[in-house]
Amino acid sequence: MSSDNRSKPFLKLRHPAGRQQRLVSALGIWAVFFGVWVIASSTGMVNELLVPAPQKVFATTYDLFAARGFASDVLISISRVVGAFLMACAVAVPLGVMMGSFPAVEAIFAPFVSAWRYLPAPSFIPILLMWFGTGEAPKLALLFIGVIFFLITLIMDHTKNVREELVETALTLGARRPTVVMKVIFPAVLPDIVVAMRQMLAMAWTYLVIAEIVASTTGIGAMMMRARRFLKTDEILSGIIVIGALGLLFDLAFAALHRWMFPYLRKTR
Amino acid sequence: MERDAILEIRNVSKAFPLAGGRELLAVDDISFNVERNSICVLLGPSGCGKSTVLRMMAGLETASSGAVVIGGKTVDGPGRDRGMVFQAYTSFDWLSVQKNVEFGMKINGVPAAERRERAAHFINLVGLGKFADAYPSQLSGGMRQRVAIARTLANDPEVLLMDEPFGALDAETRWLMQELMINVAEQTNTTMVIVTHDLEEAIFLADKIIFLSSHPGRLKEEIVPAFKQGQRIADKERVVKLDGYGELEARLMRLMREEGRHAE
Repeated sequence: MSSDNRSKPFLKLRHPAGRQQRLVSALGIWAVFFGVWVIASSTGMVNELLVPAPQKVFATTYDLFAARGFASDVLISISRVVGAFLMACAVAVPLGVMMGSFPAVEAIFAPFVSAWRYLPAPSFIPILLMWFGTGEAPKLALLFIGVIFFLITLIMDHTKNVREELVETALTLGARRPTVVMKVIFPAVLPDIVVAMRQMLAMAWTYLVIAEIVASTTGIGAMMMRARRFLKTDEILSGIIVIGALGLLFDLAFAALHRWMFPYLRKTR
Repeated sequence: MERDAILEIRNVSKAFPLAGGRELLAVDDISFNVERNSICVLLGPSGCGKSTVLRMMAGLETASSGAVVIGGKTVDGPGRDRGMVFQAYTSFDWLSVQKNVEFGMKINGVPAAERRERAAHFINLVGLGKFADAYPSQLSGGMRQRVAIARTLANDPEVLLMDEPFGALDAETRWLMQELMINVAEQTNTTMVIVTHDLEEAIFLADKIIFLSSHPGRLKEEIVPAFKQGQRIADKERVVKLDGYGELEARLMRLMREEGRHAE
């Protein structure tokens, strides 16, 4: 083998792929996915009733929004996620920061919080339905229980990781304990808190769908369960696509929020 | 040139608890004074407890016995009269350079206008005038230490405590920073206590060197670099060329080496 005939392998170890290559690859994998789907449904390889063609699913999605008031279901779902999530954050952020700042506070709450993390939130659905009936309360409660204990633990851990030197610098500048927590520890950990919120919001969506499928007459999950009763697989798949799109949108929104809130984290050097 | 002591370290010892109920004696019965407006360097091999002594001065550690006294009052906890600069970067990344330097004044209730003015003064003093609006993440390591120094000085401490402040910097930046500290000391009349294990740094900066021996940390010798004739010279090359520089460096090397052997 001559040396000038060296072939460049497609798989280069730890060598970053170019922008164009990444774009082509990303579009390619989706093109393959839809290609297989289109061929499978148009050639009759799969039962059209169970796997409708992608173009039909997209047409149905449009129709659901344009003619059948699906938007109100989507809005209800969004408001449940956002409402329950904000309530969880209102408790978890201050508590997590206090637990990460003061070991005495951690000693009180950590044994309680870590035990709750091992109880799967959906196991509370029967008792929540008995306590709260079928209104909004049991859904909000399920989402709240589902995310809050993880959120508290994540925020506590991030708070503990704030470097000791920052705390000691503040103390030697004459800061008292509340000032150290509010003006140094909290702003230092805030970027990590926003990341933790972004991760937990994705989890909140999971619990929302569970809540709406099990016990609801409104929302995206409920629409999908209704569609199942009438064998409308295209509507079920529309629901899945909309949930996915909403998850992606919220994730992008959080990423934008992070960039906007923390301009100092941008690498300029 | 007798000057009054602003800091007195009186028979200070520090023991750290170990696993199994035993204790490690890190600092053993150390006494010395830091004179007002002087630069005092704590020098010694690693494990001599020099950082522990400095942290006790700052009030970040409590002495097991003995006392640290500042201006006649016994230290019990950190306070703004003893500002501290650490080896690790301590810039508050979410604040601009200007706001970093204003931080201490802000939490101590200095009015906004005075705050801005003092911060600008000290930012200029450490040579960061052009970077007042930059974020720390946009600065180099040496510049970040300048921010920390300006922030501490702007808070008007009685004593500036520095724990190997230039240890993480490359050699040429370290020289520049050492020369800067001489200029700062001359212009602000701040008393400084600097911990280092770098002989050159100690000789260049010190009005007085406190040499500590290791395991446990004991006061070995108080050394005044007499060859500088009581002057501070902000030019490293000139200091190195003075008569007596080499002699002192050789003496300190000998001390360091003896201590190193003890430790083995």
